[in-house]
Amino acid sequence: METLNHKEVINLLLQLAAMLIIARVFAELARKIKQPAVVGEILAGIVLGPTILGTLMPEFHTYLFGGGGNTNIALDGFVQISVVLLLFIAGLEVELQIVWNQGKNALKIAVASMVLPIIAGFVVAYAFPEFLGVNINDRMVASTFFGLAISITALAVVARVLMDLNLFKTPTGLLIIAAAMIVDVLGWIVFSVILSLSETSSGGLGVWPTIGLTLLFTLVMLTVGKGLINKTLPWINKKLAWPGGLLSLSLALCFLAASFTEFIGIHAIFGAFIIGVALGDSEYLTEKAKEILHQFINNIFAPIFFVSIGLKVNFIESFDLGVTGVVVIVGLLTKYYGAYLGGLFAGVGRKQAIIAGFGLSTRGSMDIILGLIALEYGLVSDSLFIGLVILALISSIASGPLMKWAGNFKF
Amino acid sequence: MYKKIALAIAFSPRIEALIAEVKRLVILFDTELLLIHVGTKTPELEAKLDEMIARHGCDKLRIKVVWKEGKPVKMIVKACEEENVDLLVAGALKHEGLFKYYMGTVGRKIIRKAPCSVLTLIEPKVETSDFSRVVINGTQLDITPYVIEKGLEFSKIVKADMVSILNEIKLYGLQMGTASEDSEEEIAQTRRQLVQNEIDYVQKILDHLDSGNLKINIKVTGGKWAVELARFCEKTEANLLVVGDTRKLNFFDRLFPHDLEELLSTLPCNLLIVKK
Repeated sequence: METLNHKEVINLLLQLAAMLIIARVFAELARKIKQPAVVGEILAGIVLGPTILGTLMPEFHTYLFGGGGNTNIALDGFVQISVVLLLFIAGLEVELQIVWNQGKNALKIAVASMVLPIIAGFVVAYAFPEFLGVNINDRMVASTFFGLAISITALAVVARVLMDLNLFKTPTGLLIIAAAMIVDVLGWIVFSVILSLSETSSGGLGVWPTIGLTLLFTLVMLTVGKGLINKTLPWINKKLAWPGGLLSLSLALCFLAASFTEFIGIHAIFGAFIIGVALGDSEYLTEKAKEILHQFINNIFAPIFFVSIGLKVNFIESFDLGVTGVVVIVGLLTKYYGAYLGGLFAGVGRKQAIIAGFGLSTRGSMDIILGLIALEYGLVSDSLFIGLVILALISSIASGPLMKWAGNFKF
Repeated sequence: MYKKIALAIAFSPRIEALIAEVKRLVILFDTELLLIHVGTKTPELEAKLDEMIARHGCDKLRIKVVWKEGKPVKMIVKACEEENVDLLVAGALKHEGLFKYYMGTVGRKIIRKAPCSVLTLIEPKVETSDFSRVVINGTQLDITPYVIEKGLEFSKIVKADMVSILNEIKLYGLQMGTASEDSEEEIAQTRRQLVQNEIDYVQKILDHLDSGNLKINIKVTGGKWAVELARFCEKTEANLLVVGDTRKLNFFDRLFPHDLEELLSTLPCNLLIVKK
């Protein structure tokens, strides 16, 4: 087995330390001004990457991240695992019970808040592929991908904002949470289908087998898979070390599911997400265990991933005001109006529909992962990816104040 | 509290115990009794039923017997509707095997479709069941204030020694995981606040109710309420669990069992399902 040499080990450790330290510093700064940690972590990546550090101290930046070869491959491994774990935790956050209890209203809001941005995003990207920077050779898939990327809600971020506003347990809060959960599930199913359409993806099975397999995998995991989890978890909780046994085996299960979906031609992260849903929905996964998994992944792997975004792209060199402007305006307006109209259609009242509109506009997790995958598959340009990251930053910063404003507004 | 209590009769070995149980409830709640039998009315069965009624002293009660022919679930539900029954008593099995959720027993169908509240007794006995330790679901749902009100009324009438109201913190893991962005002190404060919010919710409901001499305990847990209730009942050896039901269940509820469905698959003790 090939291993890292002495210098590469030092380099990798310094990279990870630098990423975690700067992420922590910026997350704390974000906390001071009452912003979600993810905002700080993304900015930390921009500071540590080619944009700031690479420009101001190019030699130091090259020493840290330009070593090339094995170190960067090892770091990429860490980032890949971070993405898989982020999806796993996103799945754990989905509680089908909350979704059922909120019922059709949450479904209507979620679907409307996705359909409008997907259609608008698709139309804009398909009509102006060169301007926006979507791959003209894979125009259909790239345009749909863009639409999907601006249609996602960041459940973890919206949960934080709702908790800060004391809205989490209110009917509006739970409606937003349930709708965000539905958006997550639908988003990843749509994602895996679109990816199979891409000519640049490899190892795909074709559209219909992929759709069939995706739905079958989802259904089997949530019924038989969950049944098996329900049979095994009590034994694990009782007989093995706690929480050691549960943590290691649940992560092993996550990696198994991720590798399985990658093997059958659906992206690895889909498997991680669905196994997260199945495990999180099991009554034997205690809330304490969920809390530990959250803390462990949110504070170690999430920062590594969010900082890594800034390392991949130069946010000044590739920045395009026109592209970013279009992404931000289309993203914010369509997502807001989609959720708002969905709310009115569901009959939840204008005020609640407005709050749901602002709430579901919160981004800053899964949308960036989608954008990054599109970037890696060559479906979108650096400029468009930067637009998506800026959309995530603006929406997660603005959603709290906007929801508060709407809450105090008299209709 | 109730005006008419009904019991479905199937002439099974447990019928004696069920009649004894229902007789006690009819006297305690001072109600009329409706006996429903789904099947052909024959002189032999009629004589057998009359003899049983007389043996248990039920003939001295305000009693009516209804004979219906057809599908048991449909007929029992129909009789309850026609006769304005407000509590239906049913016997249940304690354990259910794997994949039972998909099959649906007659008992479950009755529970799902009944227009009135349903009291499910896990082990009906001639010397009658004890309802001394009652647990009420205090989870924040639309029906909860009504469930707590009815649960307390029931507990007062059956003279329960202890009533526990169990409330669950929704999405505790997600909330505490999210709170891990804060300082240690803030996290502890969030945790305390989550618990306090649930206690306040139940306390506000209790403030408007007359709890008589009942000893009431408010407990808070994190997790899914149906499972937590079952665990709590087993741990405290409760003998009656009171929950509400407002929803009509559909196919998806059976495919992805939750809430009441999960509770019905792991009945921890006697179960009173309160319906509006």
